[in-house]
Amino acid sequence: MNCQEFWNTMPEFADPRLGIGQAAHEHLEQCAACAARLRSQSALKAGLRAVAGQMSQAGAPARVESRLRAAFREHNGIPAYAPARAPNWNLLRRPMLTWATAAVIVLAMFLVRQPAQIAADGEPDGVTAGVTAVANSGFIALPDAAEIGPNEDANMVRVEVPRSAMIALGLEVNPDQAWQPVQADVMLGADGMARAVRFLE
Amino acid sequence: MNERAMTPSPPETDDKLLIRIRSGDEEAFAALYRQRQAAIYRFALHMSGSMPAAEDVVQEVFLVLLREDCGFDPERGTLSGYLFGIARKLVLRHVERGRSDVALESELDEAALPELAVNDDPLAELTEREGIAALRRAVQALPRRYREVVILCDLEEVDYADAAVALGCPIGTVRSRLHRARGLLLDKLNQERNPRQAMRGLRPVRCLT
Repeated sequence: MNCQEFWNTMPEFADPRLGIGQAAHEHLEQCAACAARLRSQSALKAGLRAVAGQMSQAGAPARVESRLRAAFREHNGIPAYAPARAPNWNLLRRPMLTWATAAVIVLAMFLVRQPAQIAADGEPDGVTAGVTAVANSGFIALPDAAEIGPNEDANMVRVEVPRSAMIALGLEVNPDQAWQPVQADVMLGADGMARAVRFLE
Repeated sequence: MNERAMTPSPPETDDKLLIRIRSGDEEAFAALYRQRQAAIYRFALHMSGSMPAAEDVVQEVFLVLLREDCGFDPERGTLSGYLFGIARKLVLRHVERGRSDVALESELDEAALPELAVNDDPLAELTEREGIAALRRAVQALPRRYREVVILCDLEEVDYADAAVALGCPIGTVRSRLHRARGLLLDKLNQERNPRQAMRGLRPVRCLT
């Protein structure tokens, strides 16, 4: 087997451990140039895999999905969320910063209170029972929060809270990511109190 | 124990997800996004060297998909190839606009490029930390037409057919560019390890004074 014949049977970047014939083995033993070239190719292949492996966990940040979901809903005429009744959107014309601030404070008050209710067996007593999905909108009713009345004006604000807030509601959180913020939609009743929350992950 | 209940269901195919997306199913859109976004993000990041640019590209790619006239034709290739193709065009537009490309564009003639390098150095340390960094630099320094094919085929393991769709060229061109790109990478890495050998290329051929 000469060099040309060897490379004809050895596709570029092929793993020489797989399917290399006896004749190819013999050629490699006799031809230092082909052996060196094959080693270089194998090393480059392993190196490129290592580069890919270093980046394997990289991806677009979560806010991109949030923006795209909003664009999808707008494109398809889907309301931003599905409350029990249509909210009074006029209220949302008020400065959003005020609502967001209020929602974070109210949500924090609810969530901070929860650890005191954790039962001795580790079950979040009162939380599990109180956590119920609101309709099919993905909202979770906050414990001890009043339900939104049929004629009540509901509003929603989007906030960013520590991921650990999900733990207080009985949701599973990867400990490695607990420090990372997560976006949430907070549904407010007419009294400005938080009634339900929906995490966007 | 019911084994079937324990087995996670395979992800839905792109075709089925697209049908659901066209009927206004937001969760299908989210599922498709989650299946595809990371590879497109990494491709854009490798190509542009900019995380904000890569983020913008991912967002734009999926916004394009929302449009009825997005131009995706299953007869011409897979959705993956189509999405990479959109991402590529957006990256190129970004690079042209901002000139933030990580590598200088080169007008190298494909035919004039060297064959795969033959060198006694097995480049064994390419999988070590410094070796990986050097290899990444070498990839980023490749001319754009070679960089994109290496990123698609060698880093993202996109098959040649999808890469051809993404790059808008025949499969044979994908193969030949990949061959040249790998040769350039080996050449570059060998030069870094043996600068004296690299200097041979600068040996004067005649004296002018």
